[in-house]
Amino acid sequence: MTGNLLIVLFDGLAFGMLLFVLSVGLSVTLGLMNFVNLGHGAFGMLGGYVALVVTREAGLSFFLALPAAFVGAAVVGIACERTLFRRLYRSGELNQVLFTVGLVFVATAIATFLFGTGQQPIQIPDVLRGSVEIGGLRFGIYRIFLIVVALAVTAALIFGLEFTRFGASVRAAVDNQRVAQGLGIDVDTIFAITFALGCGLAGLGGALAIEIVGLDPTFAFHYLIYVLIVVAVGGLGSIGGSFLAAALLGIADVGGKYFVPELGSFLIYLLMVGVLFWRPLGLFGKR
Amino acid sequence: MAEPLLELDDVSAGYGEGIVLDHVSVFLPAGGSLALLGRNGVGKTTMILTIMGFLSLAGGAVRFRGQDVSRLAAHQRARRGIGWVPQERDIFPSLTVEENLTVAARAGRWDLASIYGLFPRLHERKGNMGNQLSGGEQQMLTIGRTLMTNPDVLLLDEPLEGLAPIIVEELTAAIRRMARDEGMALVLVEQHAEVALDLTEDAVVIERGVIAHRAKSHDLLADRETLDRFVGLNLAAE
Repeated sequence: MTGNLLIVLFDGLAFGMLLFVLSVGLSVTLGLMNFVNLGHGAFGMLGGYVALVVTREAGLSFFLALPAAFVGAAVVGIACERTLFRRLYRSGELNQVLFTVGLVFVATAIATFLFGTGQQPIQIPDVLRGSVEIGGLRFGIYRIFLIVVALAVTAALIFGLEFTRFGASVRAAVDNQRVAQGLGIDVDTIFAITFALGCGLAGLGGALAIEIVGLDPTFAFHYLIYVLIVVAVGGLGSIGGSFLAAALLGIADVGGKYFVPELGSFLIYLLMVGVLFWRPLGLFGKR
Repeated sequence: MAEPLLELDDVSAGYGEGIVLDHVSVFLPAGGSLALLGRNGVGKTTMILTIMGFLSLAGGAVRFRGQDVSRLAAHQRARRGIGWVPQERDIFPSLTVEENLTVAARAGRWDLASIYGLFPRLHERKGNMGNQLSGGEQQMLTIGRTLMTNPDVLLLDEPLEGLAPIIVEELTAAIRRMARDEGMALVLVEQHAEVALDLTEDAVVIERGVIAHRAKSHDLLADRETLDRFVGLNLAAE
């Protein structure tokens, strides 16, 4: 029983880390820039298909596919930001929601057109296959890899935002856009870069997700819900909050399906409702 | 006349349809200093915001170092050397004191050491977050933060507003040092007319968006009658 519990905790944590990489970008752009991008899941899906093309069509290593997914989603993200999203910064949230949901429909249609509606498998390298035995329990190597990647992303984000001048200018621009501009900070460019990073992380998450949850054109919508729950439970703009919320939700989701299958995937919604009753702004939310 | 550093040439500007500045022309030579006086709501802050590019011009031009900057974005004007010290001490609350100083810094005469020399209190509190400072410290930080961008002119928007007299004295001394010893050009918006006139060479009085009076600061300081008529004197102002 304790063995099962440990494995469920471990699998849940790994799933949570996947959710974290998928959603932290949205938490940052939503919390820092107040832009409601429901198309975030579409950038995750894009990263997934980029990884697929890199490994299957180009025959390159999965380890190259991951940075390619990041860069691909970031580049498309910045193109969308420059041409489309920035026009919506000053319009209402309803416009942002409608526009970005529309974008998800477009992305789903494009994915269906190019790749069909079927589940796409991905080739992962042998070193990531199988499992290791620790104390009589078997831990999947790919899941260990997920946790390591997520920890590295968290460390890089916290370092970048808290300890670099770029991070300080992002925070300054969020605190007071006008004053930041008046001091010579190019707020537009900073927001575009931040947005691109957020999309890139979603792309990385999408590529990492294929091995665990598969990839098909419904990915953008399906995972949007998980992503929004992570952001809401963690609190807008909080990297630590997203991390904790994603871990919690991953464990609750996997644990719920394992121990109380009749509740199934409903448990995470109960968890969300519970957390938001207790802390309406999320675990680490400030506003 | 000396080469102008900053020039407003027949500028009209305002918010949306409403014109707040009506054909205003002002001229500041390099190293010069100008007090903008007038009662509340006559357009002094509007003038500063127009120089920075936060309001669109309805007419006229803003020139800096002889170049028309009227179409440049605010951050581009700042990078050319216009140093804005905003009203309300808008420090960045989620940055530390030191980050506030370095976040927009550009290389030049002013660096962390010289700012800490000017305002030793900031050095003591360099690890604090921006929102943990007293009003006076916030104002020092606002001025220091702009100085760190090494501007050619400082636009100070009511820097002494709401501060305790002892802090006002300390800040006044610092501003005087910048202007007289360092040759920093200043535009100073201030309700305390006497302090502003004491710190500057030239003064303009704004009334309902137009320039109602121009004078040398020390002449205006002696001309109590004019001062009283336009500014209502600092004592009566608040």
